[in-house]
Amino acid sequence: MYNLYLKIASRFLLKNKLYSFINIMGLSVGIASFVLIMMYVANERNYDKFNGSENVYRVYMDYLEGNTFSPGDAQSYNLSGPTLKKEFPEIKEYVRFFHLQKTTFINENEVFEGNKGAIVDPSFFSVFDYPLVKGDVKDALAAPNSIVLQENLAEKIFGKESPIGKTLSIFWKGETTVTVTGILKDIPKNTHIKNNFLVSFETLKTWKAIPRQYEPNWSQNNFFTYIKVNKNTDIDALQQKIIKTNFEDDLDERHNIESLESIHLNSNKPYEAEANGSESRVKFLLAIAFIILILSWLNYVNLATTKSLERAKEIGIRKVSGAQRPQLIFQSLLESVLINCIAIVIATIVVVFTLPFFNSYTGEDLIVNSAVVLGLLPYLGFIFLGTVLSGLYPAIILSGYSPVVALKGKVRASSNGLNIRKGLIITQFFATIVLLIGTIVVAKQIKFLENQPIGANLDHVVAFNWEVLSKSKDSVLKRDNKLFESELRKLPYVKNVVSAETYPGGGYDNLSSTVGITFPNGTVDENRIFYTYNVSPGYFNLLDMEFVAGSSFLETAKRSSNKIVINEKMAKHMQIANLAEAVDETVKFWGEDWVISGVIKDYHHFGLKTAIEPILIRHYEDKNNLLVKFDKSVTSVAGFGTVLKKVENIWDNAYAQNVFNYTFLDKEFQSQYNEDKNFGSAFLIFTVLAILIASMGLFGLTSYTVVQRRKEIGVRKVNGANIVNILATLNKDFVKWITLAFIVAVPISWFTMLKWLEGFAYRTAISWWVFAVAGCTALVIALLTVSWQSLKAALANPVDALKDE
Amino acid sequence: MLLELNNIYKWVQSGGQKIFLLKDINLKVEEGEFISIMGPSGSGKSTLLNIIGMLDVFNEGEYNFLDEPVHSLKEKHRSNLYKQYIGFVFQAYHLLDELTVYENLEMPLLYKKYSSSERKALVADMLDKFNIVGKQNLFPSQLSGGQQQLVGIARALISSPKLILADEPTGNLNSKQGEEIMEIFKELNKDGVTIVQVTHSEKNATYGSRTINLLDGRKI
Ligand SMILES: Nc1ncnc2c1ncn2[C@@H]1O[C@H](COP(=O)(O)OP(=O)(O)OP(=O)(O)O)[C@@H](O)[C@H]1O
Ligand SMILES: [Mg+2]
Repeated sequence: MYNLYLKIASRFLLKNKLYSFINIMGLSVGIASFVLIMMYVANERNYDKFNGSENVYRVYMDYLEGNTFSPGDAQSYNLSGPTLKKEFPEIKEYVRFFHLQKTTFINENEVFEGNKGAIVDPSFFSVFDYPLVKGDVKDALAAPNSIVLQENLAEKIFGKESPIGKTLSIFWKGETTVTVTGILKDIPKNTHIKNNFLVSFETLKTWKAIPRQYEPNWSQNNFFTYIKVNKNTDIDALQQKIIKTNFEDDLDERHNIESLESIHLNSNKPYEAEANGSESRVKFLLAIAFIILILSWLNYVNLATTKSLERAKEIGIRKVSGAQRPQLIFQSLLESVLINCIAIVIATIVVVFTLPFFNSYTGEDLIVNSAVVLGLLPYLGFIFLGTVLSGLYPAIILSGYSPVVALKGKVRASSNGLNIRKGLIITQFFATIVLLIGTIVVAKQIKFLENQPIGANLDHVVAFNWEVLSKSKDSVLKRDNKLFESELRKLPYVKNVVSAETYPGGGYDNLSSTVGITFPNGTVDENRIFYTYNVSPGYFNLLDMEFVAGSSFLETAKRSSNKIVINEKMAKHMQIANLAEAVDETVKFWGEDWVISGVIKDYHHFGLKTAIEPILIRHYEDKNNLLVKFDKSVTSVAGFGTVLKKVENIWDNAYAQNVFNYTFLDKEFQSQYNEDKNFGSAFLIFTVLAILIASMGLFGLTSYTVVQRRKEIGVRKVNGANIVNILATLNKDFVKWITLAFIVAVPISWFTMLKWLEGFAYRTAISWWVFAVAGCTALVIALLTVSWQSLKAALANPVDALKDE
Repeated sequence: MLLELNNIYKWVQSGGQKIFLLKDINLKVEEGEFISIMGPSGSGKSTLLNIIGMLDVFNEGEYNFLDEPVHSLKEKHRSNLYKQYIGFVFQAYHLLDELTVYENLEMPLLYKKYSSSERKALVADMLDKFNIVGKQNLFPSQLSGGQQQLVGIARALISSPKLILADEPTGNLNSKQGEEIMEIFKELNKDGVTIVQVTHSEKNATYGSRTINLLDGRKI
């Protein structure tokens, strides 16, 4: 019997190819999108999960701003961990990380760049449950100059041979030598602190490039500190105790803790280990996933119900042959399960094949493995439930036809669930319009961020930085920055060269900070964090930063002075009303006096997601970056590639071995919006898919309603209606429905997107045209879809329609 | 006695007023009878046949089928009665387009309790009896009207009902095909099957043992 049901169902699907195609495609696209988004969401939500991770917390610093504390720094002091452990017995263990970004290794003259790692306490392995493939967790990180490599890095450096006991040169602002003592099993990529190597804490004692970090102190907070608490610790109570305790005799800051697992989606503090994800983004995507899936089911319900009108005769015959309602419902359900199963199979194939594109488009690194599949199983249950529910409605409608009526072929669209179908279409368009408005607002905001003047000109500016790995090569250049500069200036297209510690868009890396500053008027501010960095005098000119008072530093033979340049915001903080008066005033921080030589207009150092911060720019020729301004003709005439090659040659001539990096400042600044752009891309993809599904449904639906109204159209035409009249008759309902959907969608999406925009300090307006564009797009798409069918009907010869009755 | 209709009325409500489709119908059908119902179009023939076949309900009156009071039976019970004793033949054949001849014949058996081997045997029997073994794997659209109606009758007969109800079974056929169908009915009737047919043709009516005439929903 089930065999026969399946046979009937499959023959029905084969016979009604358009119907089957639309249904299966709609469902496949819906399920595939749902699965993709769920994989993404699961990946985001599973950050930093390992055995025992629920008992791990990160220690961070709150700073007093006004009267309230707010998160000020993701990193804490090297004393924080040991002190907390000593103070609170519920803390079992702590581990400190000194982050080493962009680290280079040399093994027998082979260079391996771009590694991320950390200097950590030996207790690392008792806090983080990361197993060692080789070596012993008890002493791998005990001795100074020990290093533990992640499997893939070890293999890259040493190949197949065992690296244990081998030595390596490691460069991070200077060289040191380490011995491999362990191999770490590859760590899953979804962790907020990605390390492919670990160096023992004792190494800090002798590492010259990293001074002042080893000795216990309350002045350098450059450590990520993680604590592991005992099971069943009352974490709120512990947090209260930590907040209330003043360890370092400083009332303007305090220690605080947050759960390790929550960091990736919920923490966005200065000095994070990496740009974190965002809970609200995940929620948005989740909502989109469900909307798309439900849209595709609504489609199915709609099409199946409409199609059921055509199948009334079949139902009549079956009933006359003795079928009872449950049997008919069962059969109809079987059909929808069949369709959904085909769709699930297609969706799976689609997911597997589109995953690489999805990954490259969204910058994610999702994979399909047994764990992922297992994690998706509950959703499969949800999909199955939706399948049954979406199959049930048409099944009930279908099986409810009276055989007498059904056999007469008198079941009409108007009599069965027309209102429900209308409702479904309105819901579909409502969702579509909401998604459209969302897409437009996100795109508009990103465009806004990109086009907003930032108070500095980053065009055609390239930052060069490098690490000298061996100095053996004889050269006129030696290690002198000034000579590099003049050498670079000789290159064609180079307009200006200046050294600087960082630049707008450089993020928190390379930015120093001070809490505690004395203003010229004698006020002491110990509450707020102030950011500061070093530049050479030509910096402001090179980046076209405008002075509102005073001027840049004077070139001096010493290449540094106690002069600083501040921004307007800083001046305002210092309560200097007349900016001209700020010049030559003295500011105290870090125990030194600094003389203001000029005030620049506010510029965006961090991108437009955050408000402008007060900034102090110090005079010091830092070798961290060489900023080179090129003439704008470089792109059109020579091309950046050849010029950059020449710059690299200058380095290669100077040093036998070096690691040479460059960054385009404008690109790096824009890259602060990468996450938002990826979000926008994902939003766009899924909106297009949603529209596709909705239009497929509409297309399918009209192809049937038009068939049903063939006779009506024929009669109208015979009675003198022209094509325009007919089109108007057929389309005016859709216009009405879309208008209704639009009216509901506007306030909801307006409110939602307003909430989303709150995540940005600088935001675009949600103009009226956003709604107009979304509404019109939906309308045009709907009318095009519908008219394709209506036009065919309107053009048909009425005689054909009327003669078969 | 097979069935008995007493004072059957059927009406529909239209614009606040009752439109009578059947008025005061009394009818007794004995087992083994072959009855023809005649009357002008719209006189209520199909309505009456559907009521006899329990596909449609009536508003007033009594209907006893094999001494069971159909008017007071529960839906489930009625449907069991129907399944067991009644077969329908339609003017428009009403075969399922997606199924082959074989599957069309098998279909009613699926809704009754037959094992798969019993089904095979019954279908094979019918195919044989109606000489359509060669057509068993064809779909209805590949058959002529007469052949389709043969399948329709075979399907109605497959679970050996006591009563065959046929609504203008030859209406869509040419006269030669129509004659063949009527011959088959005659044969069936000889074998003891009770037949009630609706027809417009005087000639077809003569195959029956008795004719009932309807006019405006009333027996005359
Ligand atoms: N649901 C209904 N609502 C209103 N009128 C109905 C309904 N069903 C049937 N009728 C009317 O009842 C009358 C009898 O219909 P019926 O189909 O029984 O006629 P018939 O004798 O079989 O005619 P024909 O020879 O054309 O098949 C007709 O006038 C028809 O319009
Ligand atoms: Mg009739």
